[in-house]
Amino acid sequence: MIESAVAVEKLTKVFPIPFSRQSIVAVRDLNLRVEAGEVYGLLGPNGSGKTTTLKIILGLASPTRGQTKIFGRDSALVASRESVGFLPENPYFYKFLTGEETLQFFGKLCRLTGARLKERVGQLLELVGLTNARHQSLRTYSKGMLQRIGLAQALINEPKLVVLDEPTAGVDPAGSRDIRNIIVDLKSRGVSVLLSSHLLSQVQEVCDRVGILAKGTLVREGRLAELIAVENQNELVLENASESLLKEIEKLAASSNAKLIERRRSTTTLERLFLEATEERSEK
Amino acid sequence: MITRIFAIARNTLTELTRQKVFYVLLIFALVLIGSSVFMARFTFQQEFQILKDISLGAMSIFSSLLAIVAAARLIPQDIDERTVYAILAKPVPRFEYLLGKLLGVLLLLLISLVVMSALFVAVFYAREQIVLGETMRQMSRAPREQVDDALNAVRASGLKIDIFAGIAVIFLKACLLAALTLFVSTFATTQIFTVMMMMFIYFIGHLQATAREYWLEQQSAGWIAKTFLAIVALIFPDLQAFNLVDEIVAGLAIPLALFAKTAVLGIFYTMIYTLAATFVFYGKEL
Repeated sequence: MIESAVAVEKLTKVFPIPFSRQSIVAVRDLNLRVEAGEVYGLLGPNGSGKTTTLKIILGLASPTRGQTKIFGRDSALVASRESVGFLPENPYFYKFLTGEETLQFFGKLCRLTGARLKERVGQLLELVGLTNARHQSLRTYSKGMLQRIGLAQALINEPKLVVLDEPTAGVDPAGSRDIRNIIVDLKSRGVSVLLSSHLLSQVQEVCDRVGILAKGTLVREGRLAELIAVENQNELVLENASESLLKEIEKLAASSNAKLIERRRSTTTLERLFLEATEERSEK
Repeated sequence: MITRIFAIARNTLTELTRQKVFYVLLIFALVLIGSSVFMARFTFQQEFQILKDISLGAMSIFSSLLAIVAAARLIPQDIDERTVYAILAKPVPRFEYLLGKLLGVLLLLLISLVVMSALFVAVFYAREQIVLGETMRQMSRAPREQVDDALNAVRASGLKIDIFAGIAVIFLKACLLAALTLFVSTFATTQIFTVMMMMFIYFIGHLQATAREYWLEQQSAGWIAKTFLAIVALIFPDLQAFNLVDEIVAGLAIPLALFAKTAVLGIFYTMIYTLAATFVFYGKEL
């Protein structure tokens, strides 16, 4: 049997309020699984318990009740993090280090040394597009560059599971597309990805399955295609269709029991338009 | 394990170095050179005594200050800036993280004290040579035995190996202060609280031995009082025990037993505080 990348069982996390009898329930009876090789999106508004759940999975916080496991190992064990990479929300690494030194530091924490470390650092700087900024101190990095160096440090030990907390928050559309491409690339190499986000369109493009958290409770979960499909509706996208053909289709629909709900011209997304416009400009 | 601890220690040392904490050493050099110029008007015995007193006192204060200020910010800053998440999400036990941080501060203290000692020895040696030269010049017509006696008197007031035992004890005191600061910073809510708390502990630590002796003399202590005093002694380390400057300034030899006892005390306190910091940090929700 293949072990789930992440298994969360009956997880509850309660934060007591100091000097008060009251407490805050951040996560309530949460069950979820991230299977090996899949991209799972944990969605929810701010304060819904996403980050708390991720922290417990990574052993940074302890559960009040329940259990979390990474590839079958209890999250409380340091060994469970042997093949995990984590990108925290709005990461802020040691600004006195350069990009290269940052990756070397995190590599050494994963027991990489010598030529192997050097090679891996070079590969990752290339992957996240920071080769030219490798000798710059992090103090001079933009938010998008910090996010990318954060992603690179998460991948330093060639992890089998990558946990990303709001990976595209505050990043411009080009940076956000690059991060998405890296996630797709990780998936193609069999790496499991657990990401939290409230930017839904981005999640929709990369996730196999999603879970929606609200006030610490999982309110929906399933395969993305199934969750967002409208049961009794279909879309037909035509290219170079004449007006007469469209009229005929409409007539055909009217003669059957089907109802034409909307007819509109296909549009591009604002994001695609933005990327095309800004990239054309930078090429000139 | 060693690779990880060393990586964190080296990173901490880099962090502290790039924050220009070594400027403290520049102030030390100025104090040292300034005071040696000012003291030219005293007799050589007085001059050497004052030079030792000021230098060792400055080393003790600067290294203690450096230990507290450097150790107070390390963990709260890592938590505030979420760097600790990225580190502990790797297979790094919390104990190794803390030990690496502490080791970084201790390396900084060691380097600072080595530089301060080198400066001190250089200035002292230069003054000693000047005084020897002046003595020979002034006594150029005196009989040989008298000149030898005078030179031996100068050398007797000069540098002795005991001074390094005193500096080692200053280092141990700074080590225990760094470990104690790290411990306080694991539960303190702000850096200012940690520094204020450490200043308080620093003064109590210097006064508590005297207060304890006075108290025990005044009244016969039962077991409750003794337990209370033992707890106070553990929370507020007896920092006066690490003050061997008076013996060195007076030119007395430091007995090996006293040095060994002080060293063991310093190592014991440092270990206890590191363990306490680990205990609190393991239970900390990040």
